[in-house]
Amino acid sequence: MDRQTDEGYFEAYWPRAARRMKTKPLAPRPESLDGKRVALLWDYLFRGDDIFDVIEEELRKRFAGISFMGWREVGNIHSSDERQMVAALPARLKAAGVDAVITAVAA
Amino acid sequence: MLRASAACEAAGFPSSSLVATAFVEQAKATRVGLGYPNLPWATLVGHPAVQTPDQLRHNVTSVTVPEVIANLTGALAEGATANAEPSVRDIVFKGGFADLNQHFIEREWSDGLPINPPTRARIEAFLSHTQRDPEEVLGIMLPDSRAATIWSVAVNGVMAGCRPEYMPVLVALAEAMADPEHGVEHSGNTPGGETLIILNGPVVKALGFNYTQGVMRDGFQANTTVGRFWRLYLRNVAGFLPHKTDKATYGNTWRVAIAENDDAVRAIGWQPLSVDQGFADGDSTVTIARYTGGGMASSMSGSKPEGLLDYLADGLIKNTFWQIMFSVGTGYGKLRPLALITPIIAETIAASGWSKDDVKQYLFEKARIPAWEFERMLRDWTGKPVWSLTDEARKGSIPADVYAVSEDPGRLVPIVWEPSHFMVVVTGDPGRTSGYMFGHNGQFGFPVTKKIAVSAPSPVSSPSTDSARRSPA
Repeated sequence: MDRQTDEGYFEAYWPRAARRMKTKPLAPRPESLDGKRVALLWDYLFRGDDIFDVIEEELRKRFAGISFMGWREVGNIHSSDERQMVAALPARLKAAGVDAVITAVAA
Repeated sequence: MLRASAACEAAGFPSSSLVATAFVEQAKATRVGLGYPNLPWATLVGHPAVQTPDQLRHNVTSVTVPEVIANLTGALAEGATANAEPSVRDIVFKGGFADLNQHFIEREWSDGLPINPPTRARIEAFLSHTQRDPEEVLGIMLPDSRAATIWSVAVNGVMAGCRPEYMPVLVALAEAMADPEHGVEHSGNTPGGETLIILNGPVVKALGFNYTQGVMRDGFQANTTVGRFWRLYLRNVAGFLPHKTDKATYGNTWRVAIAENDDAVRAIGWQPLSVDQGFADGDSTVTIARYTGGGMASSMSGSKPEGLLDYLADGLIKNTFWQIMFSVGTGYGKLRPLALITPIIAETIAASGWSKDDVKQYLFEKARIPAWEFERMLRDWTGKPVWSLTDEARKGSIPADVYAVSEDPGRLVPIVWEPSHFMVVVTGDPGRTSGYMFGHNGQFGFPVTKKIAVSAPSPVSSPSTDSARRSPA
């Protein structure tokens, strides 16, 4: 049996599917975090509480008037109600006067 | 986690995600699927879970904080966009079998086993077994944000080695995968749990699914290829690729699909899983859920329900340790442990007049652990230093009449909120006295059931076959 007979000939289609999301621009960044309010979003895993303590302390040293919406106030962003929680975040952040967010922990 | 950052960016809030070193490649791939190819992250050096307080402080101060500041202020560099891709109906390879397989493996379109070439004729044979439009979108699935279509179901069904008549089952599986309740976006998470597919109804016999001895063993075409289809669809359409978006620490090979022994269930007057899940008796259905692992209760002994079910209760407890956080903690009331029991065990239990609901009630009473141990596991596995079931009950986040009937730390509390949270399926060797218990992955792979729409095949347009085609001269 020659190779051609053994291998056959096939015209195969792409097994994936079209991506349906559009590329979007990031939110505008401020020049400085002076006087800004930063929300700390946490999935309650991997010592995010300890990490946020250090970040908060270091950012306070560097930026005058910076304030925080703490992870306790936000709640777990990775619990049973993740979809609803994330969907509601923008309105909650706006109501709380937040300017930027730090999200943890991918690990 | 990046999903929350993306939602914030969309609403006008600058974000910086915190990503551990080993997850950077996942972040790069995931952000493209979210539509933000330059979504920024700050690095957590190593893994925070194993660092001393001093090490953690040093790493966060010296590396993470400067990157957070850079991410939240000033201009950011453009990120890599998604690579140019073929169109859905593009032929991506022409040639022989071995070269075709190598082509698919190199592009990460295959699981490493030989695939059945997805040619036009073979795809159309699958499409003839559904009345639905090939372009119909069943859902958009993360992490890649790709459209799950009837066409893509057929292509991946061909590749998996399924028979065309399995197509209605595959469509139902894609619908289940796309159901938000299941949480497909979590399929690449750390535990690496693998989905178990359970079939019910007339389709089981019609398509030749094994539902007796060796039901979880490969070697039965319907069970094996439908199980393989699931993993290929997760790879090619949802977009879970190992070392990128699939971050299973260990992972598993895909599980072969199983089926319940509906005859055995009916003979003892119980209802099948499909009815437990809200469908009519006689409907053909697929049920999916992700399980973190499981264990065998081999050759149980006993002539009464209580004796037999004590084995199961013990096994359900032993397969639920860190997963307890899906009852309280990371999830609330989202744990759905599964027990498979053989027909002879089910018959023996039913002979004492017990229904399936009685079985679940008994398991609810027996699959319990001391409250202090429940709280200890939550403390160990969530990283939160203090857990109190009574405090949770006072807050109203868990049922007080289940978890806070007293303050006694030695009181026994159930691993699930209510009896119906246990799933019981009758399958396996009819003559063996065994069971199999699965640990469940909670809301990150929640059980979902879909009805299989069986329809008569429509004529396949030519060419009717391509299996004997030769290379052009």
